[in-house]
Amino acid sequence: MHNPDTIIACHNLEKHYERGGEIVHVLESIDLSLARGGFVALMGPSGSGKTTLLNLFAGIDRPTAGSLMVDGQDLTHLSRSQLAQWRAVSIGYVFQLYHLVPVLTAYENVELPLFLHDMSRSERHLRVSEALDAVGITDRHAHYPRQLSGGQEQRVAIARAIVTRPAILLADEPTGDLDRTAAASIMELLGRLHSEKGQTIVMVTHDPATATHAQRLVQLDKGRLVESSMVRS
Amino acid sequence: MASLACRGLRRRPIRSVLVLAGVAVAVFLYCTADAMRSGVERATRSASSETALIVYRQNRFCPFTSQLPQSYERAIARIPGVASVVPVKIVVSNCRASLDVVTFRGVPAKDFATSHAAETSPETMSRWLQRSDSALIGRELAERRKLKPGDRFTAAGVDAYVAGILESETPQDQSSAFVHLSFLQEQAKRGGTGGVVTQFDVRVTDPLKLDEVARAIDKHFANDESPTTTRAETAHVARAATDVIVLVQFAEVLGIAALVAVFALVANAIVLSMRNREMEISVLQTLGFRGMHIGMLVLFEAFLLGSIGGGIGAAFSYGAIALARTAMTMEGVSIAIPPSIAIALTGVAIANVLSLLAGVIPAILASRQTIVMGFRS
Ligand SMILES: Nc1ncnc2c1ncn2[C@@H]1O[C@H](COP(=O)(O)OP(=O)(O)OP(=O)(O)O)[C@@H](O)[C@H]1O
Ligand SMILES: [Mg+2]
Repeated sequence: MHNPDTIIACHNLEKHYERGGEIVHVLESIDLSLARGGFVALMGPSGSGKTTLLNLFAGIDRPTAGSLMVDGQDLTHLSRSQLAQWRAVSIGYVFQLYHLVPVLTAYENVELPLFLHDMSRSERHLRVSEALDAVGITDRHAHYPRQLSGGQEQRVAIARAIVTRPAILLADEPTGDLDRTAAASIMELLGRLHSEKGQTIVMVTHDPATATHAQRLVQLDKGRLVESSMVRS
Repeated sequence: MASLACRGLRRRPIRSVLVLAGVAVAVFLYCTADAMRSGVERATRSASSETALIVYRQNRFCPFTSQLPQSYERAIARIPGVASVVPVKIVVSNCRASLDVVTFRGVPAKDFATSHAAETSPETMSRWLQRSDSALIGRELAERRKLKPGDRFTAAGVDAYVAGILESETPQDQSSAFVHLSFLQEQAKRGGTGGVVTQFDVRVTDPLKLDEVARAIDKHFANDESPTTTRAETAHVARAATDVIVLVQFAEVLGIAALVAVFALVANAIVLSMRNREMEISVLQTLGFRGMHIGMLVLFEAFLLGSIGGGIGAAFSYGAIALARTAMTMEGVSIAIPPSIAIALTGVAIANVLSLLAGVIPAILASRQTIVMGFRS
């Protein structure tokens, strides 16, 4: 039965793709249960299915088989638009390449997901200011993405992901495209969001040093779960 | 959302400006062609209430060559069904199709003053009656040539004094200068053609008898020295305007082709702008935007191109027509091209609808895109 302390629970989760008439087993019988308020690092070699698993958690891709409960919601039975509505409330997603909307300012990028919520202009302003403040980029709110450095863009992207106060923050190699200093400060920021605000975070990474910021390590190899260990508590 | 669509146009500012310019030119063409068509239609559409006939010299197609004895007036007046006859001498500055022609209409002064009393002030009318070389000019002609009462002007070798402006509903009157018949005959004489007029403007008592009266007039003069051809006024205009009507029909085809171009331009612009946006659409979907939102976004972007471009084109067309105040004149017949808000609005509306249609398929494709595929593109 559903345990309120569990935020993600999957059982026998499978994901297959068809490619050129051949079935590719990207994920095979994944059994996993992640606790609310945790900080999990998902690791594994390239092509092991990390992004695919993260996308299943985010409800932007659908499993081929198995059960998947995220934030108390069974994702396998939702329609396309129900999934979208659920994402707007429950999920914050951070991409490796930031993916800010180039024609919107930092402020407007962060404001964007709030238009899906029933909110007044002043409520939105409050939320956006709070999020920009949390990522430490308030002074750049009027800049366009191309006027920002990679690290700053990623901060704006994180602000956009947390502005709706989602149950889970998912991040796919959030430091993968940054230099060492910028990467360190992004990791420091994610760590702070987790420790100070109790934000649940699931992060994909290649880099063992980055993974040390997490509480728990989940290892994938060729679509199978090979290891799940606590780093610290 | 709306502001996101507006920003969308700024992604490729040069491309957006070019597309807007293209849409504007197309809508300009369409509106201008349609204004010409409506002018021609207004001048040549025969109303069931029509009572005006024009008696012209048979087989003559130009005011220079249509010569009828003024004495026909009495004979025509006696034909049953005729309410009134006005002998008119027409002198034009240019007999060919042209946009700036002055048409002098020589009319019997006293009769004219009575029948057109409502179209100008009594003072102006008495001034016109007093001076034999004075002219009452139609509003459109006055604006085109920038004439005001007291001015002198010369056209077609006729030198006249402007007594005042005539406010008339009839397109023919608006681009004419009315002078005393005797004065015009005198001016045009140069070899003893006094007593010769170009045509007779006839009014019938009953619109249903229009054709009957026309036939009776022609039959009456059939064996005379100067046989006549009598037509309804609109038919007379339509005959004189044959060449122009063909031209206008051609312009209409051009206008419609221009609208097809609007569709193609907007469709092309939207397809191009969506091509590099799969990733961004996936991002929006990840944030929770639904297919409906994405589709609306694309549609709105297409709509903006159509409405902004169309608005500019229609406004320019309206402004150009209003400023130029042209009348197409051929063979002494004038067809005014009126500026029309309705035509401008129609142009904008068509551009809006076409651009929305052009956005439908890209909008559906974008709204159906799966997120994962967008990220892998
Ligand atoms: N839509 C798809 N169609 C076909 N194959 C796919 C699709 N999505 C993913 N794959 C395949 O699934 C496998 C896992 O992909 P995934 O992106 O999850 O790996 P990853 O662990 O995130 O790798 P990386 O570290 O390089 O990002 C790869 O072999 C990939 O080619
Ligand atoms: Mg990946």
